[in-house]
Amino acid sequence: MNNSTFPSTRSLLTVTVLLAAMSFTIRLPAQETGAAVDFNTQIRPIFTRSCSACHGGVKQAGDVSFVYASQVLPPDGWIVEPGDPDASVLIERVKTDDPDLRMPPPDEHPEPLSDDDIALLERWVSEGAAWGDHWSLAPLAADRVPGVEKAEEPTADRAGTEAWVRQPMDRLVAAGLADHGLSPSGDAQPEQWLRRVSLDLTGLPPQPGQTEALRRRCDSATSAAEVDAIYAEQVDRLLASQRFGERWASVWMDLARYADSKGFEKDPHRDMWPYRDWLIRAFNDDMPYDQFTIKQLAGDLLDDPTADDLIATAFQRNTQTNTEGGTDDEEFRVAAVIDRVNTTWTVWQATTFGCVQCHSHPYDPLRQEEYYACMALFNNTQDADLDSDFPTLKVPAKDEQREAAIASQRRYQTLRDARNQLGRDLADTVQWSPLIPQTVTTTDGRLAFDGDRVRSEGGTFPVGVSYTVQAGAVPMTALRIEIFPLSDDPTSWPEQGSVLTHLKASLLKPDGTVIPIELVDVFADALSGPHDPRDCLTANKQGVGGYPKLHRPRWAVIVLKDRLSDVDGATLRLEMLQSANVTGNLATPLRHFRWSTSDDDAWPRLIASDDLADLSQSLADAKRAVDGIQGAQLPVVLPRSPAVARSTRIFIRGNWLERGDEVSPGIPEVFAGGRARDPIVVSDRLDLARWLVSDQNPLAARVWANRIWAQLFGIGLVETLEDFGSSGLQPSHPGLLEHLAARLRDVHHWRLKPLLREIVLSSTYRQTNQTTASLREKDPRNLLLARGPRTRLSAEMIRDQALAVSGLLCDDIGGPSVMPPQPDGVWQTVYSGAQWNTSAGAQRYRRALYTYWRRTSPYPSFLMFDSPTRDLCSARRIATNTPLQALVTLNDPVYVECAEALVKRAVSDTRKAAAGETVIESTAVDVIAWMYTAVTQRRPSELELNELSSLYADLHPDVSASESQIDEAAMAIVASTIMNLDRALTK
Amino acid sequence: MTAYNDPLWQGLAELETRRHFLTRCSVGLAGTWLGGQAVGAESVGGESAGSGPIGLHFPPRARRVIFLHMAGGPSQLELFDYKRDLDKLDGEDCPASFLKGKRFAFIQGVPKMLGPQYPFQQCGQSGAWVSDRLPEFQSVVDKVCFVKSMSTTQFNHGPAQLLLHTGNQNLGSASFGSWAMYGLGSENQDLPGFIVLVSGGKTPSAGKSVWGSGFLPSVYQGVQCRSKGDPVLYLSNPASVSRDQRRRALDALERLNRATFEETGDPEVLTRISQYEMAFRMQTHATEAFDLTQESARTHQMYGTEPGKESFANNCLLARRLAERGVRFIQLFHWGWDSHGAGENEALNAGFKDRCREADRPMAALIKDLDQRGLLDDTLVIWGGEFGRTPMRENRGGREMKFVGRDHNPGAFTMWFAGGGMKPGCTFGETDELGYEAVVDKVSPHDLHATLLHALGIDHKRLTYLHQGLPQRLSNVTQPSRVVEELLA
Repeated sequence: MNNSTFPSTRSLLTVTVLLAAMSFTIRLPAQETGAAVDFNTQIRPIFTRSCSACHGGVKQAGDVSFVYASQVLPPDGWIVEPGDPDASVLIERVKTDDPDLRMPPPDEHPEPLSDDDIALLERWVSEGAAWGDHWSLAPLAADRVPGVEKAEEPTADRAGTEAWVRQPMDRLVAAGLADHGLSPSGDAQPEQWLRRVSLDLTGLPPQPGQTEALRRRCDSATSAAEVDAIYAEQVDRLLASQRFGERWASVWMDLARYADSKGFEKDPHRDMWPYRDWLIRAFNDDMPYDQFTIKQLAGDLLDDPTADDLIATAFQRNTQTNTEGGTDDEEFRVAAVIDRVNTTWTVWQATTFGCVQCHSHPYDPLRQEEYYACMALFNNTQDADLDSDFPTLKVPAKDEQREAAIASQRRYQTLRDARNQLGRDLADTVQWSPLIPQTVTTTDGRLAFDGDRVRSEGGTFPVGVSYTVQAGAVPMTALRIEIFPLSDDPTSWPEQGSVLTHLKASLLKPDGTVIPIELVDVFADALSGPHDPRDCLTANKQGVGGYPKLHRPRWAVIVLKDRLSDVDGATLRLEMLQSANVTGNLATPLRHFRWSTSDDDAWPRLIASDDLADLSQSLADAKRAVDGIQGAQLPVVLPRSPAVARSTRIFIRGNWLERGDEVSPGIPEVFAGGRARDPIVVSDRLDLARWLVSDQNPLAARVWANRIWAQLFGIGLVETLEDFGSSGLQPSHPGLLEHLAARLRDVHHWRLKPLLREIVLSSTYRQTNQTTASLREKDPRNLLLARGPRTRLSAEMIRDQALAVSGLLCDDIGGPSVMPPQPDGVWQTVYSGAQWNTSAGAQRYRRALYTYWRRTSPYPSFLMFDSPTRDLCSARRIATNTPLQALVTLNDPVYVECAEALVKRAVSDTRKAAAGETVIESTAVDVIAWMYTAVTQRRPSELELNELSSLYADLHPDVSASESQIDEAAMAIVASTIMNLDRALTK
Repeated sequence: MTAYNDPLWQGLAELETRRHFLTRCSVGLAGTWLGGQAVGAESVGGESAGSGPIGLHFPPRARRVIFLHMAGGPSQLELFDYKRDLDKLDGEDCPASFLKGKRFAFIQGVPKMLGPQYPFQQCGQSGAWVSDRLPEFQSVVDKVCFVKSMSTTQFNHGPAQLLLHTGNQNLGSASFGSWAMYGLGSENQDLPGFIVLVSGGKTPSAGKSVWGSGFLPSVYQGVQCRSKGDPVLYLSNPASVSRDQRRRALDALERLNRATFEETGDPEVLTRISQYEMAFRMQTHATEAFDLTQESARTHQMYGTEPGKESFANNCLLARRLAERGVRFIQLFHWGWDSHGAGENEALNAGFKDRCREADRPMAALIKDLDQRGLLDDTLVIWGGEFGRTPMRENRGGREMKFVGRDHNPGAFTMWFAGGGMKPGCTFGETDELGYEAVVDKVSPHDLHATLLHALGIDHKRLTYLHQGLPQRLSNVTQPSRVVEELLA
């Protein structure tokens, strides 16, 4: 690899089309004699490029895989003999001329490995064939004071470099530039820096006047240190602004795939905004990233979770819910769980895990079964792709009501569980006797019984099917139903749901009289869904069993009001109605069940007990309190009771209908410390979250620091923000990335604001973004950082800037999403009456992040400016430059309105500015200059002012009109032109 | 590409990076920068898996695509796949062997068999079977290549549509049109290269993701155009701005941006200047392209079009106009083929007849019209839904329903192709005697994608994009796929 290849790889498609680019690095490998061969930078790229396609994670031809050290090196591997290249099969096979033996095989790869590659491999083997973890998995070293390694290299301009350095990171950048014979650019003008830093930190441009004030203060400063202090003050002001939280929440919303709808066909509304509000609060409070992580991934598993802990779990509920009729809820529950796994690994680890669903990773040491171990971590939550998005929490809009409202709902859930637990525990201690049916009949379909077991035998069991079971009556105090899957093979589970919705019991006396048996209470093995077991005593469509799917055998106990004692010669009749259904009116009938009875007097005692009465009373009170809460129905994650846990099985070739062995929860070995003596144990989501942000996981800090960098500089230090694995790009500045990651984690204790403060006050960031032709040629994409970043505004910033400069922006923070103007007919979705109702008043001028986000039809102008659809986690937006974007900012009524408002504001402001004793009307030139400065934070040059003035004159040819009267229609076109300037669309 | 003669582009040429070609969205990976790409690939590692040069891999049979998607899953058993045996079994219980191991959207328990609801006849030289619901279409069967043996793995609309259009039943993958744009770019600088037209007032079940760019850069996504109002969103100048005023303002904008370029040296500024110019041209060209009043009375008669209305017929005529103008990928969605029989509008004996009436004449006219204008040779017309329908009558909730309908059937459906180098007058593949499962020469969506890319001159295994650790491709890297050579003329 040499520098000359560097410009050719700057394309945005590098990652995409050039798989081979995975070996690309700006770092110059230590190839000079003396330095040991480095596995990661020199050997692994050869393997990935030339070997792993056939000898990798997917194909392991000849049982050889270059992804796993154990398959290359002794004792298990047999192709490399460390220290002895001549005895190593690998070396023999790449060097041989025999076409039958040579690797890579000549029929598919006519060119053998280059002599350089072979020489490297030989040296690597003779030096002992040291294997190394991929760079991104190496432990994150404590931050060293940078610059030390440069000390013995005396350079003429070392003093100059030191003078340039404002932050430790600058020293690393300067060293990198020196390696390429470059020096940094000078500081940007205060105007340029303030625009950049305001947009980067708050997503909004500076307000009119702020730039002028900064300029004045800088001009009157007497020392560079004083200027630096003024800059620091600006940064502190921006970091303290409430706008900061909105800006960074919108960054996270792409990762969280935030949307206001459920996705798929009807794509109905969902109340997700309380989660967005939480994000804004978290960023404004500078919640450390470790807490931020733990709350979102496992807030429900914390001891005594707060309202915010639970709201944060909605991060995981941004998966889609398929409400299309006739869909299999399990299919889409599984899809949601898979999405959570992939999203978690992408967001925190930049690890491409998705492909491991079907087979082991082709290039990274991730085995297929390890994917399902991760899935097991996420598989036992209560949500189940139900149309209601169950489970949800009601979140009041008012901050001060939130904690109490959530506490009240938690209390209700706790009491429900506690009440059910009383009967559940008792059921385990009493004796149950099988009830052998004498007859079993059904209104539809066919049933058969064998001993105490009843099974379906064919035919159709529609919604509302009812079975009647008759058996010899015995004395009893309680009945128990066990509901089984029809198949005895657990790999075919889960099955269709199976719910008993209404049970009626009666006694047939020998004389023909029928005496109803009164049933008073129901207890189930666990409360696992939206249904209350006691519903099977009422005529609604809920009851006991597995809903919407039957994952395993389930049971419930139904307690009699009075002991049944007078049974001589009588028959017990059980009428079992099954009227539950899932989306599309699909039935959830019992297909395999048995009844048993208990005659233990503990049941009547329980029913009569004060404990139960107290709990029932508290539960009723709690229910009333919950019913009285007004608020958004936020989908959250809650754990499913371990008593009825779902098992997780490997999906063979990724097919969820073909299930293999059961797997236990865990993380891939490569992350868990390999085969170390004390591997890291991760057995639930909370463990996972804690491990992610622990010192044992170096990736989270690197990945988050890299995302922050990319927001400021347009390109990540690892350009593939989504992939830190072998198929991603290597860091352009490894030392800088390590430095930032270590600062973030160890010095700032995961706080974002102090890290941002360091970066935006650095000399690197403060450079001007103007370039010389030679620098542009040498480094067109500014990967070396010899100048300041110049990047296009994000979709959100483009809207927010237009609203801010025109004075229309509504300052409200948080709350439900709003609907700014959108062309008619954009929303046309099947089976849905959802309407885009344009928000009224100030609500139509809210910041972009509050715009209603419907997954199947996102706000069109945002999509045109490269917003993702948020169907899935999106780790990187690639900025494009298209004619459709021009049409948005020229013609979208939103921008037309902003241009008109900008004119009015400029006219009024310049009039005031000129006002002394007498009112002086604004001149066209004043207005134009004001607008130009407000939009770009830069005073127009004479050329620019002339150009715009002559535009205005041409658009407003009626010279007879009073000079002092501004033609607002013509001026609005000038305003629109200013807002469409390249300067206005970039920072 | 006249734009290259522009002095602006010459200036840009010195600064050319692939990105600028890309962001212009007018040139795909083929042609212009293929050479540079290949060099780039070599310099960083030669030909490892999936890294070969991409673009046009062999001479294309088709230069553009018109995809007529019949959302909802039209019944092959009432249109093209004639089954005498099914008629005999009408009203009988479905044999158990047909139900074992099957998953249905709505059918429960043991449904009844349902015979073809309309008479069929053999048409044209090729003797293709077509039902009496499509009288106009019967006259063009000799131009058409039928595939009776389509089958999919998905039995719900959203996932099945995603699979058909993106090669993946889950969200997040790139649509066929996006891949075509990524691989080939556009032939017309003044119109979007991938245009979507929807009729019936509804987007498909899977939403706009079926023409989305998924993991590809968003610049490749389909642009939904409307036959009512602005054809392209935000195309019209605001009422307060005349075209002359806009021109004058853009002239000022260009000069100001040029000064910015001179100061910053950022080539992205030059790209932006050219994008604004393209937008200006698009305002004229798109408006003109969508103006159906320019067509003759005879043409309107032929298609059954009425300018100003939003209809499938209008969209078919627009498709021809866009094809004439070099739009690469034109995708039409027609809605309402989900003939469950749960309501009148979606019953085989009611709403289905209306759908056939809406589609029959325009789709036949489109083929004839493309043919008479010499466009059919290099325009590939595709027709089909996301799955087929069951030979059993639907019994939603386990009960017989008032109207007659069929449930979703992923096992068999019919698609047809015309032009673009597909074999005319050909019928490929067979279903079983009841039209339930494709049994001979089964074609999956992945095979379809491989074949259609092939027709466009693209090797489906070599058009890749790295995402989630895999060089992704339209034909889905995790699933088997083949080019169905038998369909190619």
